[in-house]
Amino acid sequence: MPDDRFFEPEIETLPRASLTALQEERILELVPYVYEHSPLVRQKWEAARVKPADISSLADFTERAPFLTKDDIRQFRDEAGDPFGGLLCTGYHAASTVFSTSGTTGDATMYAHAWDQWHPFWAATARDLWEIGVRPGDYVLGSGFKMRGPLYHAEQMCGAIPLMVSTGIGAWAGALDAIRRYRPVCATLTGLAMAELDHLSRSTDMKDVFSSFKGATFAGEPLGARARQQLESWGVEVFVWTSTGDVTAAFECRQHNGCHAWEDCVLLEAVDPVSGAPVADGELGELVATSLDNPITPMVRFRSDDIIRMTTEPCGCGRTHARFWPVGRKGDETIVAGRSFVPTDIWRALEQVPETATALFQLVRPARELDELRVRVGYDPGLTASLADVEDRVAEVIMAAVGVAPVLELLPEPDLMARGRGGKLPRVVKS
Amino acid sequence: MTLASTTAAAAMLPRPRLWGVGRYDVAGQPVYFEMSWADWQRDTDWARAMLADHGVGAGSGLIVVGGMPEAPWFDPVETAARELGAPFSIGEIWPFEAFRTAMYARRLPITMIFGMDRTVTEGLGEDLAGVLAREPAIGARPDAVDVLSRAGAQPFLVARLGPALAVECPYRTGGHINGAEWRLAERGGELFLTTAGPRAHRVSHRALGLRGALAEGQCACGRAGQRVTVTG
Repeated sequence: MPDDRFFEPEIETLPRASLTALQEERILELVPYVYEHSPLVRQKWEAARVKPADISSLADFTERAPFLTKDDIRQFRDEAGDPFGGLLCTGYHAASTVFSTSGTTGDATMYAHAWDQWHPFWAATARDLWEIGVRPGDYVLGSGFKMRGPLYHAEQMCGAIPLMVSTGIGAWAGALDAIRRYRPVCATLTGLAMAELDHLSRSTDMKDVFSSFKGATFAGEPLGARARQQLESWGVEVFVWTSTGDVTAAFECRQHNGCHAWEDCVLLEAVDPVSGAPVADGELGELVATSLDNPITPMVRFRSDDIIRMTTEPCGCGRTHARFWPVGRKGDETIVAGRSFVPTDIWRALEQVPETATALFQLVRPARELDELRVRVGYDPGLTASLADVEDRVAEVIMAAVGVAPVLELLPEPDLMARGRGGKLPRVVKS
Repeated sequence: MTLASTTAAAAMLPRPRLWGVGRYDVAGQPVYFEMSWADWQRDTDWARAMLADHGVGAGSGLIVVGGMPEAPWFDPVETAARELGAPFSIGEIWPFEAFRTAMYARRLPITMIFGMDRTVTEGLGEDLAGVLAREPAIGARPDAVDVLSRAGAQPFLVARLGPALAVECPYRTGGHINGAEWRLAERGGELFLTTAGPRAHRVSHRALGLRGALAEGQCACGRAGQRVTVTG
């Protein structure tokens, strides 16, 4: 029974030993199942000469079970003509829904679930919304996109009422109208939404608009320092969330000290991105996820390419499930003329120039090592008197941040936003 | 399991009367409409019958083109598909998301694309021919009917009429509305809507900002009641 703080008090505060025992039980059920039913898992395990009989504990699993990568899934899909890349353990028609990842890094990966009332990807998110303070009868401004399934299910699970109005690109003036009328307690924001809200804030009392909010969630890409500051100045407590290797979602709690991975539905590991060996608690590692509650397309030791820090130390909020801090994407590091940097370096630089402070940009990177730094930058036409002047100042701050003079392509913000997908702008593109 | 435990926890909470709040525009002005859980259930029952008439059942696969803001119209359709044993995927209603509709149509055994609008149809570009070549049944919004027909499809009409939904049956003689819930009127080519059922959203002869024509009487599918053609 939900209480004042927890949606599922017993599960959310399960002692570590009990959580580990629960995971081990699920893994030992999962292993023979996926070996039998997942063509990709079978192929990988046979190649690694690992059999289900070799796995009799959680430790065996994390030591011996082969990893899966996005490239494995794509390769299997292309070679075998299997749309699910060998992940589907049942027939297509045993699924209720097939959804997909955003596709910002290339091909979208499809995943399927079977369900009856609530979509499984979002079921545990009810715990996170409850933590933010969403309660029966509250209104919640719905998420702008549905490609990963109906996030509003989590809102309805809390007894809340979703406001189903567009929060997509160009729709925030209308969304603010809905906020004024219904006084929701929460909304889902993205970087593109923040760019729009930044513009609207010049003619709108945002503190008043958001005064009904208990919190807003933010996902899709890193939350820039300026955007965070803006939200705080509007009185909005922001809860960062992210995906756990496409298995489920992980949100910050009110401690804002890492995103909680719900370990009853995902086995989370952090491994050395090169060697694959486990890293120590709190050290940088690549997020590896195993689905514990999806018999249709379970991920099994899926290497997400997400670089995180992770801890299994209990949180100050009382929850015992692992927390992690997203740091970036594996391979984000770019080397130009021998100088190394990551996209967030450019992000911070652009925030210093008023005309580009929303930090809408794309690093044009056909290869990881380049001779020339090409950056596509969005500028606010309403603030721009001289494009040449903006270009000079942007070049200056980027040069100061990464030590390389950039080749810039300046575009009006709306033109760059139109290149977004799934509520976010791909920050690293090939062309 | 997580889904089971969270579902059980959710069941212990009081459920509000409202399933959600949607919004439609009339002449550029927003009209908010509340939808109760009972409304949603009746819409789902109606959608199930319409989809079944189109042959949707176990063995089918759907793409529903319509994102979160259209959930008050399309969630009942999605739920109906699921209840009929047909998996569904979502194609978002943005030009840059057209690739997703194409991807599902290309990779999955899709038998129906429901709710194609002009934006997604045009966003498909060269993929459109490939999508149509697989011969799924296509439910098209009024603004996409012509372009899809010219491309060789024989779409059936799917139209949002304010808070209501009209769907053509396979006989394609105008979109059926759920007469137990809504009543349409036409005056000078303009469409008006009145609430007929126990809806949370009550309207009386509300202008929809749409032009169209009405037909009444028995359809070959066996349904009586109003059928609508939307012209603008």
